[in-house]
Parts: sequence; C-alpha cells; structure tokens
Amino acid sequence: MQFAILLLAVLAIACSAGSFITQGQTYDWYAKQYSERAAALILALHLDDAFHSWWFVLINVFLCINLLLCNVLRFPRLKKRMETEMDAEKWLQSTSGETAQKINRPEEVFLRLRMPKPKQIRTADGREILFSFKNRIGLWGAWICHFGILLLILGFGLGQMTRKQYTVYGVPGQTKPIGDTGLVLTIDDFQVDLREDDTVRQYTADITVRDMTEKTDGEIHSEQAQISVNNPAFLFGMKFYQNSTGWAAQVSVTEAGEPLQEETLCVGEYLAVQDKPELVILLNAFYPDYLLDPVGGPMTVSGQLNNPAYLYTVYYQNQILGMNALMESEELTIDDYVVKFSRPQSYTLIQIKKDSFTWLAFVGGMVIMIGLFLAFYLLPVRVCAVREADDTWTVRGICKKGGTIFREQFARAVKGEEENGGER
Amino acid sequence: MNTQILALENMLFTITMLLYFGSMVLYFVFIAVKRDGISRVAVTLQVIGWCLHTVALICRGIGAGRLPMTNQYEFATSFAWGICLVSLFFVLKFHFSVLGAFASPVMFLIIGYAAMQSKDVHELMPALRSNWLGFHVSTAIIAYGAFGVSFVLSLIFLLRDKVQAGGFLDQRIPDREKLDGISYRSVALGLLFLTFTIVTGAIWAERAWGRYWSWDPKETWSLVTWIIYAIYLHLRIRRGYEGKAAAIFAVIGFLCVLFTYVGVNTFLPGIHSYA
Repeated sequence: MQFAILLLAVLAIACSAGSFITQGQTYDWYAKQYSERAAALILALHLDDAFHSWWFVLINVFLCINLLLCNVLRFPRLKKRMETEMDAEKWLQSTSGETAQKINRPEEVFLRLRMPKPKQIRTADGREILFSFKNRIGLWGAWICHFGILLLILGFGLGQMTRKQYTVYGVPGQTKPIGDTGLVLTIDDFQVDLREDDTVRQYTADITVRDMTEKTDGEIHSEQAQISVNNPAFLFGMKFYQNSTGWAAQVSVTEAGEPLQEETLCVGEYLAVQDKPELVILLNAFYPDYLLDPVGGPMTVSGQLNNPAYLYTVYYQNQILGMNALMESEELTIDDYVVKFSRPQSYTLIQIKKDSFTWLAFVGGMVIMIGLFLAFYLLPVRVCAVREADDTWTVRGICKKGGTIFREQFARAVKGEEENGGER
Repeated sequence: MNTQILALENMLFTITMLLYFGSMVLYFVFIAVKRDGISRVAVTLQVIGWCLHTVALICRGIGAGRLPMTNQYEFATSFAWGICLVSLFFVLKFHFSVLGAFASPVMFLIIGYAAMQSKDVHELMPALRSNWLGFHVSTAIIAYGAFGVSFVLSLIFLLRDKVQAGGFLDQRIPDREKLDGISYRSVALGLLFLTFTIVTGAIWAERAWGRYWSWDPKETWSLVTWIIYAIYLHLRIRRGYEGKAAAIFAVIGFLCVLFTYVGVNTFLPGIHSYA
C-alpha cells in the first residue's frame, strides 16, 4: 500500500506540473516566458507534453500493475472472508466487536440495527444462536473500485493509441475529403440560431457523408445527419461533432476587367492569384458590423451584417505589400488585378472522431462509482446472539469500518432493548 | 428573464448572508460564554438561512430560466449552500454544535466571495445547453460541500489536543476517533459525488467537445483532488499514519478543491473558463 500511496502522490504532482506549465509550446516560447535554463529543463523532462510523456505513461503503468497485483492478491482473501464470516460458530470464538450481556429480547436488537431476519442455528455443544449478516457485498467495494480504475486507465490508454480524429471545415455547398478514410463530407446547410441579444443559441449543420471507396449496385453509399453542439451524429462508424464556427467570404479576382478567379475563403486562409502565384491574399478577419475604434482598433459592434468589413493582407514573394480593411462595396487594385470580397457567411468546423474504447473508459467510471458506493455505504455488519444457561442472551455486533459510530449505534440498540424491559 | 423574481432573489441572498453572519457570530458567542442555549439559536438561524438560501436559488433558476449553476456567482452561492447543508446534517445527526462554529466562517467566506461576483444573468452558450449540466454541477456542489465539512472536521481533529481536558469544549467535541469517523463519512460522501461529477462531466464533454478527457486545468485539478482524497482513504487504514496524517491530507484536499474552483479560473484558464 505504501507504494500505491507513493504512486498516487507522484501522479498528483505530475498532473499539477502539467497544468501549471503551458503545454505544447516551443523552446523560444518557454525561454521568453520563464528563462532559457527553465526552457531547456522543460523540454529535457518532456514537461511541454507532460500528459503524453514516457514518464507519465510509466507512472500509470506502475499504478496499473499495483492495482492488478492488489486485486489479484486480495481476491482469494475476500472470497474466503465471504465464506468464513457466514460461519457463526467460528465467529463466536473471536473476541472482537461489541458485546452486550443479559439481553431478554435479542430480536429487538437485530431490528434496531436494521439487520435481516436472523438465522437460528445450534452449535455442536447445543447452544442456540441467532445470527445475521448484512451488506456482505460491501466487502468487495474497494476491490470493485480498483477494478474500475484499471478498466478506465485501460480504456483511456487504448483509446489514445487507436483513436482517429479529423477536422473538416467549410461553407454550405462545399464537399471535402475526410482525411485518409475514403469518405467525403458535404455541408448541405449551416445555421447559426441567434437570440434577440445577438448571443448564439445553437449552431446546426446538415451534412451528407459519402463512401467513395465502395459502391452498392453502382450507387455510392451515403448517410445524412443533422448535427449541433451537444448533439453529435454517428455515421460510417464515426462520430461527427459540430465543433466550431467562423466567418468566410467569397473572393473574386479580375484581371483587366476579365473574371479570373472566384473562391470561398475562411478567415485565416490564403488565396494565391492563379496566373501570378507569388501574389497572395490573406483574409485576416471579418467584422460584420465594422467600427474603427480610435483606441481599440477595428472591432464589430454586433453580430449582424450591418456594415461588413474584411481585414486583408497582401503578400508578394512572401513580403507584405500591405494590410487594410475593405468594405463590402470596395475593391482592391493591385496592378492589373482587382480583388473584391463579398457574400460573407458563417463556415462550420466539424470534428470527426473514431475511438473504439470510449465505452470501456465509461464502464470503468461506472464501476468505480459502484465500488465507492459499496465501500462507503454498505458497511458489512454482523450481529450474533447466544442463549446463555440462565435463558438470557449475549449479543455481539461487529462492523470493522464503523468505529465509534457503530459502537454508539450498537449501544443505542441495546439500550432500547433495556428500556423495553431487558437487563444489561 | 424575469427581473422581478431576480430582484427577490437578490433580496433573499442578502438576508441569507446576514443570517449566516448572525449564526457565525452566535456560534462564536456560544464558545466564548459557554452556554448551550446560544448554540441552539445559532443552529436555528443557520437552518432558516439555509431555507431562504434554497428559495433564493429557486428564484434565481426561475428568473434566469435555467439551472442557476453556470457562472462564478451562481456556483459560489451554491457551494455555500452545499457546505451549509452538509454541516447542518452532521451538526444535527451527531449533536455537534462546535462543528457549526468552525463551518460557518468557511460558509460565510464563500457566500461573501459570491457576493463580490457579477450577478448578471447571461444566456447559456450552446455547449452549456445540455441536460448533463444539472447532474454535473449539482453533484459538484454536494462534493465540494462535503469536502468543506471534512476540512473543518480535520481542523478540529488537529486542534483537539489543545482543548483543555474536562472543559466546556472538551465535553462538546467528540473524541478523536469519532471525529475521524465523521470526517471519513464526509470525505466518503464528497469522493462519491466528486466521482459522479467527473464521470458525468466526461460523458457531457464527449457529447459537446468530442473528447471525454482533454487534460484541461479544471479536469486535471479535479483529478488531483480525487487523488489527494484517495491518498487520505489509504492513509486512514494504514497503521501509523491514521489520524493526524490522514487529517492533514483532508485539509490539503480542500485546498485543492478551492484551487480547482477559484485558482484554476484565475491562473489557468481553459475550456472550463466560464465555470
């Protein structure tokens, strides 16, 4: 147990270190934030990715081995206890527990302690015994809890190793591949449900997923669903989540008055001009209700499309040519090229996930809860009454985890019997 | 949003705070003047305060049109409600008024923290619009309340030896073994409910974010808290470490609870930043 306590303490320290040190940053970032020496130490100890580091995995492996050994070693002992503790004669020989003598009506003590109806047996030497045992299952509480932790760590670990995750984003009408799965996702519709005060009530996307690798009777197999936040869909064995959103706009480029190119750009995306790829336009940000605040800079007053403005950057041969905001009706002229932003709309970001072991982790969580409940609230209690030669009874009760509180409970049960005419 | 009901809630919240304050002062007077009658008045004030607090929370829920558990103010007031409920349970069950004297300052500090937060009612963001919210946060309130009481009991346990033998307090504070037993029951309640909180939170996160565990600071610190109380449970049954060492871990556990609630939001923002 000492090793288990040590492991738990180390795990707690490791977790807190992982939460204090910002994860997934570069050496330069840590050096700027802390110091160069600290940055080197963080990277050397893998504290930049603490929860996936070899030492964190090792702590969990040790914890699993410890839990497994603990449960394997305790199993036969618990099984034996379940059997022997039902043996009233054997139990009579022990001296532990609370004892009360000269009881006239032992059944009342059993009742007050809310024991099941006692069994009446006779010992080899002819003594009459009343015996009752409640919450036997509680003996298994800690064992079940440990087993649940093992299942949970196993489910989480296997999930981490085998899970597949993809993200697809776009505007309604766009079709995009889902990683290397052979599936394609079409965004049929995307709605942002706003309240009167402009806050978002819900994001809802209608999607169609097609399997391009398999055809049934010449038809491409497809599945459709509507997804929203908190309501994912299950298609082709994967879960689809409405994860995030942002703004997108149509960008059109004309050259000497002739249409050259038209594409949908999401905020943060680049467009390379077709016949001059070294000329690149980045859509930095979009403001639906634009206001240039003298102090705060460009900002949006509301979520409504009252005064749309597009913040862009133009690059030529990787050098910034310029950066500015363009209103809906305005055009940007670069030599012979004219760039125009229009039709702002929300794009949706859909997260796609396949984790075949999530269920195991959840089963583990449930088992832990059951184990804790059994361990804490179904404390095993045994009560035994022996008829003495003078026809009175000696009652003995034991609840190992009950401590003083059980002792007082037992004393009250016996006292109640006394008040009803018994002697002690 | 019903502004009249929210105004009523505001008034009830203020009265509750005054009642908790009054109850705390009376508990202190009870210890100072050593008269049991005063403790009975203090307990009565606490019971009335808790009842009004419950009505205030219901009004908040009706006024906001949702469960009142989604921002710092709402969670802090619910946290104080949870500590009050669990402490009253142990005070009445074990006739242990001195517990009230130690629990009431903690309760008052937390409700005071709530009073300093913004009481504005905001609509819920889409991720919070889930039936799991009620399970996740209400179990956290009970868990935190129970850990708060175990913290107080452990402090009493650690200070038990300083009490004059045979004196007024000595007769009104249970012996160390019983204190340890009550504290254990409080931790047991807290740990069971914290496990519920973590599991329901994981199920909800799986539906909302697509990941049931992201090592977000709030999640990580809930796990740290869980581990600290697991250590407490193991120490309690280990010969040589039971009693004082276990009580120290119960105190550390509650400090972790406070850090999970206030510290994480202040120093380690993550996807739980609204909570």
